[in-house]
Amino acid sequence: MNRNESLCGLLSVITLLVSAITLSAQEISELPGAQLAAQGLGRPYWHVFIAYAIAIGLVFFWVVSIGRRLSQIEKKLGN
Amino acid sequence: MSSKKIRLGGTALAMIGLVWLGVVYWMSFFWVSTEVTQGVAQRIFYVHVPAAWTSFLAFGLAALTSAMYLWLRDERLDRAAVSAAEGGMVFATIMLATGPLWGKIAWGTYWTWEPRLTLTLLLWFIFLGYFLVRSSTENPEKGKRHAAVVAIVGALDIPFIHLSVIWFRSLHPEPVVIKAEGPTLPGDMLATLLMSLGAFTALFLGLFLLRYSLENLRAELDTRSRHASV
Repeated sequence: MNRNESLCGLLSVITLLVSAITLSAQEISELPGAQLAAQGLGRPYWHVFIAYAIAIGLVFFWVVSIGRRLSQIEKKLGN
Repeated sequence: MSSKKIRLGGTALAMIGLVWLGVVYWMSFFWVSTEVTQGVAQRIFYVHVPAAWTSFLAFGLAALTSAMYLWLRDERLDRAAVSAAEGGMVFATIMLATGPLWGKIAWGTYWTWEPRLTLTLLLWFIFLGYFLVRSSTENPEKGKRHAAVVAIVGALDIPFIHLSVIWFRSLHPEPVVIKAEGPTLPGDMLATLLMSLGAFTALFLGLFLLRYSLENLRAELDTRSRHASV
């Protein structure tokens, strides 16, 4: 069994587990009241900054990744 | 359309998308009003929802081109499918990373196994499987066919994600824009959201075209290598 086949197997198990959790999600979706009451609305600015940084960071990562792969292939085609 | 034209179009669209996104960031931080009950944390909405929309668009496109590939066996359709699926993974990761940051403030927890979140995570795993299946067979054609089936199955999850908040009791808010009675957002929030939707869509389409031209170049390289070996 090669590495990809092992990963596929692992992924199938995870997918089955997640599906099973989905089916039972209704029973466990309700948060305890105390946990809801402990919300800190409006304070954590850093959550917002991190969210916006993740968004631009991942887009930037994809741009760089495409650019690098394009230049590598162009080099090979040039040779 | 030639590969060079596709690349030029992709670069132009991606540049427009990036500038557009800059405007959206400015609007989100300095222009739009702060929501009364959730405070500044609600601003995550302007990246979370457009990332979700873009990932569904990308995965939908991947499924559509995969179905057409299985029917017509045109390699260009498979190249489009893999390009769209990669974009879908990027935007789905943004959605799955920004959602918990908002959830921690709104719900008091980063994650809960409620239907919409769980189905979205499932979609992410299915498309991760798409890439693994592609590369797991010795015969590339077989890998492409199997991956195409995975993409179609994965996209079937999207309507369930949308409807899960209506069908089940859920912590996740119900839609505020796509509703029978029309959007229920205040004007400035709706304008910022629509601007963000436009920016993310332009960015995705531009990068999708660039990624597609990369696949075209790869195919050209493969053809040249095969000719050289003969």
